[in-house]
Order: sequence, then structure tokens, then C-alpha cells
Amino acid sequence: MSEKKILEYDVLVVGGGISGGEAALNLANLDYKVLVVEKDLSLGGKMIALSKVFPTLDCAACITTPKVSEISRHPNITIMFSAEAKKIDKLGEHNFEAHVHQKPRYVNIDDCTACQLCEKACPVSVIDEYQQGLIGRKAAFIPFSIASPRAAAIDITNCTLCGACERACPTGCIDFTQTDLDYVVKAKAVVVATGFKLFDPLKIPRYGYGKYKNVITSMQMERQLAPTRPFNTILRPGDGKMPDNIAYVLCTGSRDKSVGNPICSQVCCMYSIKQGQLLMGSLPMADVTIYYLHIRAFGKGFNEFYEQSKEMGVEFIKGKIGNIKEKENGNLILRYEDIEEGKVKEAEHDMVVLSVGVMSNSEISDSFQGESLVLDDYGFIHQNDILASPSETNIDGVFVAGTATGPMDIPDSILSAGAASAETTSYLRRAVL
Amino acid sequence: MEVEKGKTAKYRKEKNPVAKEVMENLKNFTKTKKRLMDALKEGDKTVPQLAEALSIPADEVLYQVMSLLKYGFVETGDIDDMDEYFYYKIKDNGKD
Ligand SMILES: Cc1cc2nc3c(=O)[nH]c(=O)nc-3n(C[C@H](O)[C@H](O)[C@H](O)COP(=O)(O)OP(=O)(O)OC[C@H]3O[C@@H](n4cnc5c(N)ncnc54)[C@H](O)[C@@H]3O)c2cc1C
Ligand code: SF4
Ligand code: SF4
Repeated sequence: MSEKKILEYDVLVVGGGISGGEAALNLANLDYKVLVVEKDLSLGGKMIALSKVFPTLDCAACITTPKVSEISRHPNITIMFSAEAKKIDKLGEHNFEAHVHQKPRYVNIDDCTACQLCEKACPVSVIDEYQQGLIGRKAAFIPFSIASPRAAAIDITNCTLCGACERACPTGCIDFTQTDLDYVVKAKAVVVATGFKLFDPLKIPRYGYGKYKNVITSMQMERQLAPTRPFNTILRPGDGKMPDNIAYVLCTGSRDKSVGNPICSQVCCMYSIKQGQLLMGSLPMADVTIYYLHIRAFGKGFNEFYEQSKEMGVEFIKGKIGNIKEKENGNLILRYEDIEEGKVKEAEHDMVVLSVGVMSNSEISDSFQGESLVLDDYGFIHQNDILASPSETNIDGVFVAGTATGPMDIPDSILSAGAASAETTSYLRRAVL
Repeated sequence: MEVEKGKTAKYRKEKNPVAKEVMENLKNFTKTKKRLMDALKEGDKTVPQLAEALSIPADEVLYQVMSLLKYGFVETGDIDDMDEYFYYKIKDNGKD
């Protein structure tokens, strides 16, 4: 066995979504050396996959791309992809040691020109997770067109090792001899920005997700609305019909004790209203109905955004969905309690979008050795002093940014990352004084 | 050990045999692709028309046709008279 390579940085940032990226950038601009460990093939987290963002309707890619390229070009930032911090140990103040494991990509990203010839040559088609399973991708693939780095990767579990990609590659950057790498990372402070997970709607069988193909998640609709969408236009996945009567079910997996998540996901109301507006734009003949319990439009410009969607013709029904059933033609019957009228009603739609909630991604806490990283009741990272220093965790020197602390939107994630980098800086300064 | 650049897949294959399901998936995709392309060669079709002609569930047809669109084998034609379903056709009349 070869010795593990030892690397030294000022700060280890775990997670390269918008929160981790922003925190890294702030710290790097103060001249700290930062290592970002990202388990996926690209920077940008969930945000880079969105269509447009509420409440400004700016194109998500247009905001994310420059940010992400600034992060990846910064001389003080090193990024490891397909990597996870397996063990994080606090040996003393300003002295952390992490064991980072990196899986091979089988492509040397520095030499890859993203020419896509490997993709073209590869005979294998598997489910494209970056398009939320709506279409396929090759086993040799560029994750998505605005991925950063824009470089190919080999999906080794689905690869037949036919060698076609390698033969097609003009730069010779595909390398199947790559192996797993392990590093020991020494850092003075740690920022955790591991983000969130989406609620799995299979946990609510009465909504029919998985069984009825025209019931989709809001993330699948984000992809359908994005310029780099999976289909030629917005189509229902059951049979390719252009939908003209779309329903949204808010609070799918949020504020629902029966699925173990009693808290509000904070973004579902607003992203559904956003999608409603975008659908009215793309499918001018379509009806959009949003079934809600309460609309939470608390942020700057949010209520105006909500009012605007009503003016555009989005219909809002205060109703609690009982169940969803499919008709022979693929249309869906929603049985719901009309809360204002106190009556049980039924309505037919040709497509249903489940506005799935924000769940914690708590695995990172298992990586902490010795002193464990405390989580809150819902599995998000506990903030030691939420009022005075919101990014402090229970471990001095470990800070937290973005949705790793709880559900929040992009502007709040950026603010949170700002707070995390400021608190990290003041911790690092204490080492000097 | 020196492995020749451009032939590293072969080297890996010697040490890590490919799983049966992976070969099975390739076979299924190749077969479905051929059936869809053959059906489209006979004329432009919508997803329900392809599903009926080939007895493949419509959601599976959509998934595969959209994948073929992405891979550059198929292109989108006109929408039907009811403004519901698009016709799909072989890209550039099938010179691939
Ligand atoms: C359908 C939908 C639509 C939305 N629309 C909007 C909108 O219009 N406007 C808006 O403001 N907000 C919107 N949001 C919310 C927005 O997505 C989040 O606020 C934002 O993505 C949070 O960023 P983050 O970096 O905290 O988390 P994430 O985006 O989840 O990023 C976390 C990153 O950490 C990585 N990671 C996780 N665990 C590990 C680990 N153990 N080791 C290494 N890396 C790890 C992940 O791969 C990922 O890259 C929407 C959310 C959804 C679900
Ligand atoms: S070796 Fe694997 S990734 Fe490359 S073309 Fe063949 S199946 Fe695709
Ligand atoms: S063929 Fe080579 S250079 Fe082109 S995208 Fe694939 S890996 Fe990159």
C-alpha cells in the first residue's frame, strides 16, 4: 500500500453547492487556502439544475455559471470532485485532520476538451440522473452542458469496457487505469455545506408517484422548464402529450407529521408559484392550479410575486389532497377537501406536480471522530447560538453554511455562507493572535 | 506496469469482468432503438402511435425517443391536429 498523500490548507469546505462555493470564495479572497471537497462531478449543487429563480425570474444558469467559474479559477481554491471526507478529527485548536476519499472519474479533466466524441461513440444508454430520470445518457458522458468542470466522466458501473470512447477521444484523456485515491487533509478550520435532500414522494403512496407516470416532482418540472430541458418541449412523461391542465400539490412531505417531517420547507410555495408563471409563459393555453394549505410568501418581493401569478391566471385552491387516481387516458383525478367550503371535491388534471420538500442530509455528522457534530431534531446541523453566531456548530472551528442548517432559498444560502466565512475568519485570526 | 494509452479499457476488463446486467442493458437498448428507428422509417409517428405499433408502454417509448433525440438519431416534427402530440422522425432522413 502506498502512503496517503498529505495535503495542507487553511480551510476545508465540505460541499460545493452554492453555499460551499460562496464560503470558499469569500475565504479565498481573504487569501486563505481552501480545499473544497465535492462528492458529485460538478460544482453548483441543486441550484445549477434550476430553470429560473424566484422572485426575480433570473435564469439560474446565468447566475450560477459566472459564480462557479470564479470559484474554479481562483488560485487559492482547490476542488476535489467525486470526493468525500470520510473522517474528520479535531486534534486541537486550529488543527483538523480529515481523510478524504476520491473515486476515479476515468477522465483527466485537464486534457478533456468536452468535444463529446466519447459520448457519441458510447453504445450504452442509462438513466440520466441530471435530467431527473426523464431521459437517458451515455456511460461516457458530460454530466450536463453547464457542468463545471465541463469535462467527461465514465460511469464505470454501467460501462461495458468496449473501449469505443477511448478510441474516439482525440486527446487521449480517458484512462481506465485510474484508481481510488486517499488523502490526509490538514486544515485549521472546517466549513460544512452539505446541503439538503429532496423528499422522496414514494413515501406517500396515495399520491401515486412512481405508479402514475404523469405525476412528477417539482425537480423534474424544473428540468422541463430549463433551457437544457430533456424533452423537445414540456411534455407529460406518461405518453408525450403536451399538458394543458397542470396541478401542483404543495407541502408534499413538508408540515406532515405522518411522514416524519413536521417543518415547513420554506421554498416550495415560492418555487411552485415561479413554475406556475413559467408554465403560463411556455404553454399559453394551459391552466395551472395550485392546491395549498397556506401560502408562505414572507421574503422580499415574494408577496408581489404571488399576486403577479394570480394576475397571470394561476388558480389557487385552499385544499388538502386526499388521494390521486389515474384514468385510462393518463389524466389524474385529485380528490381533495376544499378547506374554504368545507366540502370534499374531485378535479381532473392531465399532469400533477408534487412540490417535494427539503430534507436534511445528515450523513456528514458520522464522519466526525471524537467530538460528534450535533444535529437538530430534524437532522439538520445544530446551530450552537442561532441568534448571535448562526454558523457556529457545537465544535469550535467547525462552521456550517446554507441548507445544511435547515431549509432556505438561494439568497439566504448566500447570506449564510457569508456569515460562515466571516466566523471562520475570526476563528482563524484567533490562531494568529 | 505500463499500459498503452488509448487501450486502457482492455486492461481493466482483464481484471474486472463486466456485470451481466450491464451487457443485458446494452442489448435491450440496442434492440429497442432498432425497433423504434424501423417504425419511424416507415413514417413519422407520435409516441402513442409508436407505443401501439410496437406494444411498448407509452412512457417507455417517450423515454427512449427523447433519448434518441438527444443522441441525434431522431428529430421533432409537427404537432398533431389536436395540438396534443408531436410527430417524431428520423433525423436527416436516417443517414447516420
Ligand atoms: C425544485 C426546487 C426549486 C427551487 N427553486 C428555487 C428558486 O427559484 N429560488 C431560490 O432562491 N431557491 C430555490 N430552491 C432552493 C435552492 O435549491 C437552495 O436554496 C440551494 O440549492 C441551497 O444550496 P446549498 O449549497 O445549501 O445546498 P445543495 O444545493 O444541496 O448543495 C450541496 C452540495 O454538497 C454536496 N455534498 C453533499 N454531501 C456531501 C458530502 N458528504 N461530501 C461532499 N460533498 C457533499 C452535494 O453534492 C452538493 O453539491 C429550489 C429548490 C428546489 C428543490
Ligand atoms: S468503454 Fe464504457 S464508457 Fe467507453 S464507450 Fe464503451 S461502454 Fe461507453
Ligand atoms: S472524447 Fe475525450 S476530450 Fe472529448 S469529451 Fe470525451 S473524454 Fe473529453
